[in-house]
Amino acid sequence: MKGTKYANAVGAVRAMENSLLGKSDIEQMINARSKAEITAMITSGKGVSAPEDLSAVWNMLKEYAPDCKELEILLYRNDFHNLKAVLKAIISNREPDQYYIAPSNVGLEELKEAINSKDQSGLPEYMRKAAADAYELVTRTLDGQLSDSLIDRSALEAMQKSAAESGSEFMQRYAQLQTACADIKTAYRCCMLNKSAQFMETAICGSHDLEKDSLIKASLSGTDQLFSHLETTPYSEAAALLKMSSAKYEKWCDDAIMELAESARVLAFGSEPLAAYYIAKETEIKNLRILSVCKEFGADRDTITERMRKLYV
Amino acid sequence: MTNGLVLALIGAALAALLAGIGSAKGVSLVGEAASGVVSVDPSKFSKVLLLELLPGTQGLYGLIAAMFILIKTNVLSGNAADISVQQGLAFLAASLPIAVVGLISGIMQGRTAAAGVSITAKKPDHNGKAIIMAAMVETYAILALLISVLMILNIAV
Repeated sequence: MKGTKYANAVGAVRAMENSLLGKSDIEQMINARSKAEITAMITSGKGVSAPEDLSAVWNMLKEYAPDCKELEILLYRNDFHNLKAVLKAIISNREPDQYYIAPSNVGLEELKEAINSKDQSGLPEYMRKAAADAYELVTRTLDGQLSDSLIDRSALEAMQKSAAESGSEFMQRYAQLQTACADIKTAYRCCMLNKSAQFMETAICGSHDLEKDSLIKASLSGTDQLFSHLETTPYSEAAALLKMSSAKYEKWCDDAIMELAESARVLAFGSEPLAAYYIAKETEIKNLRILSVCKEFGADRDTITERMRKLYV
Repeated sequence: MTNGLVLALIGAALAALLAGIGSAKGVSLVGEAASGVVSVDPSKFSKVLLLELLPGTQGLYGLIAAMFILIKTNVLSGNAADISVQQGLAFLAASLPIAVVGLISGIMQGRTAAAGVSITAKKPDHNGKAIIMAAMVETYAILALLISVLMILNIAV
């Protein structure tokens, strides 16, 4: 019986979903007069919502889930971000601790050890090649941007590969969406900065929905060509928003991931509800961050509402 | 002990065994889901307990059918009847509806009730709906028990 091994974990997650912030909670916070008032609401209200609490959420999911292999894909972005941070810090003789993002599958010490010793065998299989290639690239070219692009692309490739291996349709769609959102943004930036085909080859990953070669070809021909190409893909709506503003595009990407998470709301078994809860918590924290920054800079109610990400509950 | 009686006892054993396995699997699945909810919100214990009890009935039905066979063959009184092979086969056949349907419906009701635990966790006021949906599966176990009992009672000994 597929997914019934997660019955206990799904039961726990469904009970925890009651503590997620709802529409009316967010409305109340938007109407708050100051950042301090929002903080007071969070501390007196329901649920945990500080950014560092995402690690607690992850640890709790790990505790309940009988198998975390599929769920680990959710942390690949953090793993590869940390790889970038450690690589840069070591090259420039700084401590990477302050740039480290938690939760992650790979600890800071493991990353430091792998980079310092130039021996990647201690890293998970999905990171080894990227770590070796990025180190070689940055020491050879001293081009931090190029090595960052390589690591970002490797993260997306690793997500797609692991998702395909897991056989989970949910994780495959998650990886595809993450890849497409990142690729469109990268292609647009490359276009604006007149980057070479070689750079794009390193930076763009490609996916089932958004083929790499045609995206690079369109990007090399200018923004108009890029947008006309995107109009023929499932991401035409996202492209139209990117034309207007990058903030609107970012919101579209987050909402698309949330729509995917919503599909797990009707499932009683499997790892999907756990992944969806993690995504919901991540979005909740992002919303609170946006809210607090907007309040700090005195943004009006409409601007804040426009920027709020779709909620899970 | 005649071969016929052995066949009748196999029938009784199957009814208790398979329906019992179905219930055990069903109850354990709901128990897992319910434990997850209670570990986060202990106040929901009584509500999820109702759902956990539902798949347990198939085991009872199997027991009832087995008891009818044991009574009908006088095994319980210690003076077992002289059962022919044909009569023994008839008892064995009569035990099959509740044995097989009990096994399958116990597991399936467990799945439905475990899914219902999610409803109780998120919307405790709608607990009744979760119970009704899981109870629907029960219908087929009751029908199978009815057929098994009618067949057992009508075997001439």
